[in-house]
Amino acid sequence: MQSSFDLQYIIELMPILIKYLGVTMEMALWGFLFALILSLSLALIRVFKVTFIQHLAALFISFFRGTPLLVQLFILYYGLPQFMPIFIGMDAFTAAIIGLSLHFSAYMAESIRAAILGIDKSQMEACLSIGMTRLQAMKRIILPQAARVATPSLMNYFIDMIKSTSLAFTLGVAEIMAKAQMEASSSFKFFESFLAVALVYWVVVLFFTRIQHLLEKRLNKAY
Amino acid sequence: MIKVTNLSKSFDDLAVLKEISFEVNKGEIVVIIGPSGTGKSTLLRCLNYLEAPTSGSVEIGEICVDAKKHNNKQITQLRKQSSFVFQNYSLFANKTAIENVAESLITVWKTTRNEAQETAKNILIKVGLEDKLNFYPSQLSGGQQQRVGIARAMAAKGEVILFDEPTSALDPEWVEEVLAVMKQLALEKQTMIVVTHEMQFAKEVADRVIFMEGGYIVEQGTPEQIFEHPQHKRTQAFVKRALKR
Ligand SMILES: Nc1ncnc2c1ncn2[C@@H]1O[C@H](COP(=O)(O)OP(=O)(O)OP(=O)(O)O)[C@@H](O)[C@H]1O
Ligand SMILES: [Mg+2]
Repeated sequence: MQSSFDLQYIIELMPILIKYLGVTMEMALWGFLFALILSLSLALIRVFKVTFIQHLAALFISFFRGTPLLVQLFILYYGLPQFMPIFIGMDAFTAAIIGLSLHFSAYMAESIRAAILGIDKSQMEACLSIGMTRLQAMKRIILPQAARVATPSLMNYFIDMIKSTSLAFTLGVAEIMAKAQMEASSSFKFFESFLAVALVYWVVVLFFTRIQHLLEKRLNKAY
Repeated sequence: MIKVTNLSKSFDDLAVLKEISFEVNKGEIVVIIGPSGTGKSTLLRCLNYLEAPTSGSVEIGEICVDAKKHNNKQITQLRKQSSFVFQNYSLFANKTAIENVAESLITVWKTTRNEAQETAKNILIKVGLEDKLNFYPSQLSGGQQQRVGIARAMAAKGEVILFDEPTSALDPEWVEEVLAVMKQLALEKQTMIVVTHEMQFAKEVADRVIFMEGGYIVEQGTPEQIFEHPQHKRTQAFVKRALKR
């Protein structure tokens, strides 16, 4: 049976969904913060070619880029507790944040590394020539410039991460996608429910895209 | 004050420096000349370990580093004894002129920010850039950038300033202002080792000229000895060609 499109339903559903947007954004923000810290560490390990660990970092990056996020989340949440008891108590929300940050850190590490390598090598030499250590040079001269280069692509990953939090519903996290799914199966208005959730994601992404543009404009103004 | 002993450097199979030894006294201005690809830049870069020599030792001031046994701490110590002026300026792009000059004072010598700024400002005034203190490198001409480069090297408190062809990336119109700053430094008896193709500068300013070819020091002496009465055939040939230009 073909039902008619129910705009009223979408309008009524919106405020209900938006209540769950907080969980979504919380996952995205924590996930991004951890991903940023982890990816910076990975990038530095690879740039400085830290003996032995650099190969581990490369392996890590290869694995998390080479396998689907959904599979990684399942391994983390359903798989690991069977082998490592410390993971048994982990709730789905935490697992989702860990999974998202591991996955995205692999991509972000590569773009931070590329940004660092893109900064003229002679500036590092200039730092060393006046007696600075490599770490000081990185912190004061190279990273600030690399950050400017990497910011647009890191913002893209953040936006991507917001959308990827929708996978957390497969772990049972009560976020916006899970709510839409629940509403859909009780009202049988699948099209309207999922369209409504799509619209919410879309508006959020547009908002952050706008911020991204403003940020880029400001960054381009400095030196 | 500077003592280089049996310094050698190879890149894989290519031997670039072959057992080079020489000394430089405090306040001396040494100019190194020689054909392209002879290892002049490599020699300068080995003096502060931007390039690690294969064997031999470098001693500047109190610090002596042997190529065969050294650690990172020694190298940092050695680097504090000298500073470097690069052919392509290599200024910090994210820092203004005054920040470029103050950086070593703040980061390496732990001077307070105000004191470092004051020192940096005075040095920039000395090189004629008092009106460009807060300009970023991208807002400066080549000549101005190189003068900031020299100011940065002056601020670093090294015993010696190493110059690697400081004027050869410059448009001709900017060469003189940079050479003028270097001449001023020479008058103040700042110890310098300068690799350059500016023969006139070498003649006027150098206390000693070293002619290098093929990874060796072929001949060294006063500008007069090297330019007017070179002993070796290869020096004669090089000098004749260089002075004609
Ligand atoms: N990083 C490197 N790896 C391999 N070979 C190098 C490297 N740096 C320099 N060389 C080689 O060492 C030799 C000496 O180079 P160097 O730059 O020291 O010469 P130079 O005398 O400074 O020449 P120029 O007057 O052209 O600047 C050259 O044959 C060069 O190709
Ligand atoms: Mg050279």
